[in-house]
Amino acid sequence: MLVITRKPEQSIIIGGEVEVIVLGITKDGVRLGIKAPRSVQVHRREVFEAIAAENRAAAEAKLPLQSVAAMLRAAQAKKRDDR
Amino acid sequence: MTQNQDPIIDSDGSVLLTFPKGLLGFPELRGFRLLEPHDGYPLKFLQSVERDEVSFICIDPASVKPDYSVPLGEEESEALHLESPEEALVLTLVVIPENAKFMTTNLAGPLVINVRSKIGFQIVLSAEKYPLRFPIIPQD
Repeated sequence: MLVITRKPEQSIIIGGEVEVIVLGITKDGVRLGIKAPRSVQVHRREVFEAIAAENRAAAEAKLPLQSVAAMLRAAQAKKRDDR
Repeated sequence: MTQNQDPIIDSDGSVLLTFPKGLLGFPELRGFRLLEPHDGYPLKFLQSVERDEVSFICIDPASVKPDYSVPLGEEESEALHLESPEEALVLTLVVIPENAKFMTTNLAGPLVINVRSKIGFQIVLSAEKYPLRFPIIPQD
């Protein structure tokens, strides 16, 4: 891992087109500004981890698909009856 | 091995899809069979080719949230080689808890599949705008 020390308002450039700027440092954390082309997606790491966790949970469903579909149909029918 | 007319559609009616980057949490799994079981609408079944024990129930997200749409970045559109929006099939994964009536689907990580090339990617959307656990059955 490359480690670089930067002061507020200094930045680094990645791949010639992504700029990460240190906007400020407080006791709660570091504020970063990111300038990147629209094609480059920037997400907090937590989003990836949360989706991976949902994927793993989704892989554990052991109910047959037909039973799930039947539940959905029953819920829809109930909704129609309630109207 | 039996020879099918279309090498992609198997005799059992499933479609073989390739996820070049895998799914989040399952980066090593690239090949999945997509099945549409009879009586299953709006659900589909995604079965890993490499690992039998890995499978997912997917849903057509429009059936639970009619205004749902996936904003595709340039990078993703390019990787998917989408020539028209009709070529994109969007599915979201279903999580079924102990009490199945609280099942949810993850709208922050949809699968977008090019139905022509059979290539798909899991797209990462902002979890602030797109719920990770959207209830499939409205709770009242």
